[in-house]
Amino acid sequence: MGFEFSVITESLPALLAGAKLTWIITILGIVGGMICGILAGLGRIAGTASLGEEPHGIFKPLSVMTRYISGGYVETIRGTPIIVQAMFLYFAFPMLVKAVTDIERFRIEALTAAVITIIFNAGAYIAEIVRGSVVSVNKGLLEAGMSLGITRFQLIVHVIGPIAFRRMIPPLGNQFIISLKDTSLFIVIGVGELTRQGQEIMASNFRALEIWLTVAVMYLIMTTVLAMSLRKIERKMKIF
Amino acid sequence: MSSMIELKNVCKSFGETEVLHNIDLSIQEGEVVVVIGPSGSGKSTLIRCINCLEMLSSGELIVDKIKIPEERGKVRQIRLEVGMVFQQFNLFPHMTALENVAFGPSKARKMNKAKAADIARDLLDKVGLADFEDKLPGQLSGGQQQRVAIARALAVSPKVLLFDEPTSALDPEMIGEVLDVMKNIARDSGMTMVVVTHEMGFAAQVGDRLIFMDDGKIVEEGKPGEVMKNPKSERLKDFLGHVKHH
Repeated sequence: MGFEFSVITESLPALLAGAKLTWIITILGIVGGMICGILAGLGRIAGTASLGEEPHGIFKPLSVMTRYISGGYVETIRGTPIIVQAMFLYFAFPMLVKAVTDIERFRIEALTAAVITIIFNAGAYIAEIVRGSVVSVNKGLLEAGMSLGITRFQLIVHVIGPIAFRRMIPPLGNQFIISLKDTSLFIVIGVGELTRQGQEIMASNFRALEIWLTVAVMYLIMTTVLAMSLRKIERKMKIF
Repeated sequence: MSSMIELKNVCKSFGETEVLHNIDLSIQEGEVVVVIGPSGSGKSTLIRCINCLEMLSSGELIVDKIKIPEERGKVRQIRLEVGMVFQQFNLFPHMTALENVAFGPSKARKMNKAKAADIARDLLDKVGLADFEDKLPGQLSGGQQQRVAIARALAVSPKVLLFDEPTSALDPEMIGEVLDVMKNIARDSGMTMVVVTHEMGFAAQVGDRLIFMDDGKIVEEGKPGEVMKNPKSERLKDFLGHVKHH
């Protein structure tokens, strides 16, 4: 039983279909994760000097509440394994819905559960990346902006945002790659992504070497594409 | 002449430390006030209070008839009237010189892009940097950056300009070019200016009033020439001795 190229060519269509699904979950996941992460990241520092000046009146308790909610979200996600999150969403959440409402046949598609899990999971880590980058922006620049009489919203969009974003790119690249590889864990909820396809083919022909080698190379190609796109953005945005 | 800036019984503390202690100060329209004093005397905090970068712990601030803390919601309006130049320039690193200067007029004053750029070009020309409009701050020398920063502060047409040690971070050979720009503003525009500095020559030449601060209090004030020639307090004598020796 040597190395058989024909095994690879035969299994290629199924593996490519799996890779396509992996790619779709990843892209939807990181786009949603970015939105989620930016909101939670800014939420964690709402009302602090990192986003302009400290609020007064009704905004003070509101910003404290925002900080607690965002912080709770980040800690919950970071503190539990992604595989448990996926299982909870796919198996446990429908039962929870059934227990507290009258909806009888509530179900989440495996693919939907996978995408939502990646969104919330990546979102929590991206929130910390966003927070770190925003906090690192030189306070003098915020003061310069404020002394011109611009609003807090303008300050965030035109000064803090662009400067912080440049600093986010390297750690974001890390997180995007981690999220892509995390999709392999959805094998446990039966999503037909790349690892699952490999596993199924392997179970029928026992050609572990050829199959897992091909699967590994496919992951490597996808992560390389992600890394290279981020490098391209980074070069474009380089300023100093 | 009416009072442009008034501080009444102003105190400012950071935690337990009181940095400003019962400051009373009235600055007239068009007046150029120079503030000197040893480090930690509260001079930077004093001018940062004037554009509300620091909020008063107690007392009252009146800028162009707007009262703080009574009208706290109008802080942005005060900042539109009061520009500031910082020791560390604080130019936006991702914007060219022109974009830095045009930013205020287009965002804070809501002008259209072309008009804001016209104003910015005009001001860059005035500070002698007409040829540098496409440069990023990182490509400019310290003196050039500070001149862009002055143009940026002027661009929203404020009534008051605050300078927080504008030449302290500069190499000696660049101090002159920045002081010259400041002198021109004082001479030509009749702008109300409050300048924290150690440049005694500048104080004597363009200052209408010199204020010496120590330990969070105004210790002496008067015409710059007189105050420098005949310091009354030991502390000022001591301070002037140190400054002159440089």
